[in-house]
Amino acid sequence: MNMTIEIAPAVEKTEEPPSAPFVLGGIADHSTPLIRNCWYVAALGSEVSRNIISRRLLGVDVALYRTLAGETVAVRNRCPHRSFPLAKGKLVGDVLMCGYHGMQFDPSGRCVNMPAMPIVPTNANVRSFPTVERGPLVWIWMGDADHADESLIPDTEWLASSQWKSVSGSFHIKSDYVAMHENLLDQTHFPFLHPGAIGTPEYARSKLKVRLQGDAVIIDRELRNSPPPAVYGVPTGLMGKPVDRFSDGRFVSPALHTAYARIVDNHDASGTPRTYRFNITHIFTPETHHSIHYWWFNSRNFNLQDAEADEYLHAASAKAYLEDVDALEWIMDVVRNDAEPQFDLNFAPDKPGLMMRQVLYRLAAAEAGGA
Amino acid sequence: MAQGNFDVVVAGLRDLTPRVREFLLRSADGKPLPDYAAGAHVALHTVSTERGLIVRHYSLVGGNGLTDDARNTYRIAVQREDHARGSAHIHATFQLGTALRIGPPINNFPLDRRDQQVLLIAGGIGITPIYSMARSLVRRHRPFQVFYAGRHAQFMAYHDDLQQLAGQSARFHYSDSQGHPDLVALLHDQPEGTTAYVCGPSRMIEATRAAAAQLGWHPDRVRSEMFGAGFSGLATPFEVRLQRSGRSVQVGADVSILDALLNDGVPVLWDCRRGECGLCPLPVVSADSGIEHHDRYLSNEEKSAGETLCICVSRIRGKQLVLDL
Repeated sequence: MNMTIEIAPAVEKTEEPPSAPFVLGGIADHSTPLIRNCWYVAALGSEVSRNIISRRLLGVDVALYRTLAGETVAVRNRCPHRSFPLAKGKLVGDVLMCGYHGMQFDPSGRCVNMPAMPIVPTNANVRSFPTVERGPLVWIWMGDADHADESLIPDTEWLASSQWKSVSGSFHIKSDYVAMHENLLDQTHFPFLHPGAIGTPEYARSKLKVRLQGDAVIIDRELRNSPPPAVYGVPTGLMGKPVDRFSDGRFVSPALHTAYARIVDNHDASGTPRTYRFNITHIFTPETHHSIHYWWFNSRNFNLQDAEADEYLHAASAKAYLEDVDALEWIMDVVRNDAEPQFDLNFAPDKPGLMMRQVLYRLAAAEAGGA
Repeated sequence: MAQGNFDVVVAGLRDLTPRVREFLLRSADGKPLPDYAAGAHVALHTVSTERGLIVRHYSLVGGNGLTDDARNTYRIAVQREDHARGSAHIHATFQLGTALRIGPPINNFPLDRRDQQVLLIAGGIGITPIYSMARSLVRRHRPFQVFYAGRHAQFMAYHDDLQQLAGQSARFHYSDSQGHPDLVALLHDQPEGTTAYVCGPSRMIEATRAAAAQLGWHPDRVRSEMFGAGFSGLATPFEVRLQRSGRSVQVGADVSILDALLNDGVPVLWDCRRGECGLCPLPVVSADSGIEHHDRYLSNEEKSAGETLCICVSRIRGKQLVLDL
């Protein structure tokens, strides 16, 4: 027999995959519609300049630039006339000029000039997105602009405070943000995926408390009188010394996970207990349903001038997060390409992640107007 | 080319004043309708047995107070005008379940989020986009003032809703007892750099622009939306004869030449429907009376030559227009 079977190549889809109708209490996964009514980070402020950049956020191509006065501007990276990517145009003062027919848009997206027409058409506007710069971050609202309340931007004041020192990095990940959030609420993987640096077996077995506060999922853990892992022990100089550890890890919003750690040395040389604080900031912006922009910051409130601590924390964090990235990309690859479906098993330590996935699902259902 | 139309049904109605009725329009299939922002409007298509196709434009209110309408529902408010018989038809015939067709939302009156200070001005039924903008500003905790003028509180749609929503930020003016509002004083009292958004009758928009000019405001600081642009209350029906095909199309008083042609299946090019894009002008063979040009696209010379017209907004006063089509 001579038959040719054509196999369609795997195509990177950018549109939303079809999703089943919403049910009460469902659990989000990579196919759940993305939450649009939320502040996400579009870029670091240092990336946004008078040179227009483009970035895909929640499946939508966005062009980012600064006005002469330094304000950040985000507009759809697609001319409303013939879909030319506006980031390939140029800035004339604060006005963005399309590189195809020279249509010009002000920072609100309003067309202010169309050279080929005798008048400026009032309906020739490009969608603009609200942006707000806070510390090193440029936040963007991709959803219903009438809901873009700046007071909903989550607090990350430590990233801009002189009382804190941060090291940071970023990744572009071929995985979904639901899995990434779940990874961060799942601390039982630490000793295995990240041996040595951030996980200790005692910590993995320590009791955790999980609670829901509004749409935030918070896990509290404490482990007393136990030596810290290297990532905390090295910068504090407390390696091998028994300390008390308190951690607060939280799913703050679809855009943000924070982890606050307090290391208390009850035997400090001063004679009184000394507290060392770490605030770790994980920022995710879905690029598509299967890829994420990821920025991380590791901030501390002690030894601010210690360049060796900077170097160590940067290297240790980057290594651990790369291990997460690798794991999640392998998982996504299996989930998307393995033909035999699987309903993953869940265990007690997965509760925080499942609670977070319920929140995401509920938010997505509310935006879709269902359930 | 612009997006296609949507089938909707009347899913709710209530009288806001003796002349203004609010309608909830739900998608016929229950699926979400397109997103829109404050200031957007839709074209509503309906057919009257006596008058044929009627197309009117209505702002989307968005919801009630801070509660948003469901994604499959649009909210509009229709004032019954004595001279605009389209609205009288809507009041007389729309009931729960009435099937209609609407165009996609269009926003020619967007609220600029970067404005630090906003003044909203509504005259009469011009409240509909202004109420929607007030909802947006309240939700986003932005400072603003809203000024709503009408004859008397009982004739002013969303009067109490606006009061409740905007509280101290709302001011009301009742012209039956207070006469014309002093717009110069109103604008003068605003904080430095305020942008004004005004929707109402053309004389109110003109007065606001004049007040702004008198105070030395940059013209960009007044944004406006006028209802019924292109359709005066005195529009009359006429016949369009297409010379090449020999066809005839009746254009009712409540419909544009463009919509009448599309409704009869005559293929034409169009896009903006507001006399700006320049796609729809057709060559005129003859008109038994002068052409009323309402577009912004054609030059004054082209308009006075009378050899073409924008069929989306322009019409004739007479009985017959012959087009080279």
